[in-house]
Amino acid sequence: MKHFLTKILSALLLGLVLPQFVFAADIFFEAKINEVRIGEQFEVNLFVNTPEEGINAFEGEITFPNDLVKVEEIRDGNSIVNFWIDKPEVQNGAIVFSGITPGGFQGNKGLFFSVVFETKSEGVARFEINDARVLRNDGTGSQAVLTIAPFEMTISSEASVVVPVVTKVKDIELPESFAPEISRDESIANGKWFVVFATQDKASGIDHYKIKETQQRFLYIFSKWISGESPYVLQDQELKSYVFIKAVDKAGNERIVKINPQNPLGWYENYENWLIVLLGLVIAYIIKNFLWWRHLKK
Amino acid sequence: MATFSYQNKSIITTAFLILLTFLPILLSHPVYASVQEASTRSSVCGNGVKESGEQCDGSDLAGASCTSQGYTGGNLSCSASCTFNTSACTSGGGGGGGDGGGSGGSGYVAPVTSAIFNGRAYPKSTVTLLKDAQIVATAIADTNATFSFNISGLTGGNYIFSVYSEDNKGNRSYLLTFPVSVTSGATTQISNIFLAPTIAVDKSEVKLGDNLAIFGQSSPNSEITISVNSNEEFFNKIKADSGGTYLYNFDTSPLEIGQHFTKSKAALNGEITSFSATIGFAVGTKNVLAQPSAKILKGDLNSDGRVNLIDFSITAYWYKRSSPPASADLNGDGKVDLIDFSIMAFYWTG
Repeated sequence: MKHFLTKILSALLLGLVLPQFVFAADIFFEAKINEVRIGEQFEVNLFVNTPEEGINAFEGEITFPNDLVKVEEIRDGNSIVNFWIDKPEVQNGAIVFSGITPGGFQGNKGLFFSVVFETKSEGVARFEINDARVLRNDGTGSQAVLTIAPFEMTISSEASVVVPVVTKVKDIELPESFAPEISRDESIANGKWFVVFATQDKASGIDHYKIKETQQRFLYIFSKWISGESPYVLQDQELKSYVFIKAVDKAGNERIVKINPQNPLGWYENYENWLIVLLGLVIAYIIKNFLWWRHLKK
Repeated sequence: MATFSYQNKSIITTAFLILLTFLPILLSHPVYASVQEASTRSSVCGNGVKESGEQCDGSDLAGASCTSQGYTGGNLSCSASCTFNTSACTSGGGGGGGDGGGSGGSGYVAPVTSAIFNGRAYPKSTVTLLKDAQIVATAIADTNATFSFNISGLTGGNYIFSVYSEDNKGNRSYLLTFPVSVTSGATTQISNIFLAPTIAVDKSEVKLGDNLAIFGQSSPNSEITISVNSNEEFFNKIKADSGGTYLYNFDTSPLEIGQHFTKSKAALNGEITSFSATIGFAVGTKNVLAQPSAKILKGDLNSDGRVNLIDFSITAYWYKRSSPPASADLNGDGKVDLIDFSIMAFYWTG
């Protein structure tokens, strides 16, 4: 009887627990090697498996022994994350990240990002994820059940060398095309106009953005680029300027997007137009003198 | 005197010619739109010239047309992000043939990296395609609810593509999302996309024993399965008409007093959709007509009818800041955190 009761209880417990495991998302690390020499680099990819349910928001913090390894580069080129809230970067010795995938991601081996580490001294480096949260794509932001597998890398002077340890990224492609938009909201910068923009680069990832505002149509090349992030509060609140957004990937490829002014200057307000008229008059004067000179010569 | 008149004439003529040359430049007023450019390994969208990394630029379609994009006709245009806008293209037949590499005598043509999407939405509905959460194209489904997109100018890599549509009553489908690995220099085909039906009910509260009308739109003649959740789940089947519309009068007699939910899915030619959105209704002692669903989307912070990068940026601005506005705090817990972003991502329209 006791045995029978135990079986029933176990079955009930399984019934309660099993669905949780079936619909769990797994976050895990993957690297080509598990041992490396001192002074060498290796790449660790952070993936998520979620075959049963869609997830759309993610956050976490990767911890690693700073005395054994240091971060050389973080690559988000092929990430499933469309918009970063916190772009993955080292903060207080850990890599902090958060972002969203609108519409959700469901599938296996969805890449969050890759990290290239360089080894500093011998030991076993343990990589863990703390404070991780993955939210379901259900309209309420409910938290998905999460399993996280830590990862270990042995750093030893006797480690066998595997080549290539770090994937070389050959990036000759421009960042993806994008369409920035100008908007304003009372809750941001006292209702001032701002521009929003975001794009991706499938190979090396986006490195930075630069912004340029100018009222000149032709002489804009002389205006300075300013480093900026979205949302960028526009200097010209009268929206008379052209706004250029430059997305630069980590290989230096650039895509520049131009937004024409919503309230363009009248032709007489732009000194460029007067320069053109002046140039026209100078050319007319030169031609006139030339014709006059030819006439006199005859 | 004669020379003076000659001098005058020549000045006037040359000035006139020069002004004629520069006049178009002086008078050309830009139209508000976003466009793009290129330099060394860069591209400028908006300069009216199709460059590397762009499908088109302004009126420069690089010789492309609806037919070259796999459609049977219509007008191809260029979007603000320098990608083809195929919304005015008409489809009708199967996909185009292989673009072979073609050696031959003429110059080398670089292989195009593209993706073709085929699927079903609702008859004559506008279907929107998102690439990495930003609108890349729209198309009109035909009377059979089929739609097609041909997106070129891609690079090899992983993309998140999403599709949604609106039925004839303006009800929007879920964002159907699929990760796609695009191979450089090849065309990736994604077929059998089948959007879930839209769903609505005629009453927000129904008197126990009265009928509740459950209706929506899907592909013409598809088999609709309607699920009503109660203590036990009721499944009912009905066929959509030739316009894709379905209507089922559900007898609420077997239900208990309280809150219930309904959802639907469609099947056609062996293809089956996921379940639609879930709609709630109450079973009580009186009938209360359902109000037309509010057109204000959750997550549409600037009330422009879309949930997109602008709304994300406003929310990101208030992320972890104190006293956020109620519009940014989507779950009303007094702070903007990951949950608010998750809700926004669910209602995303691009």
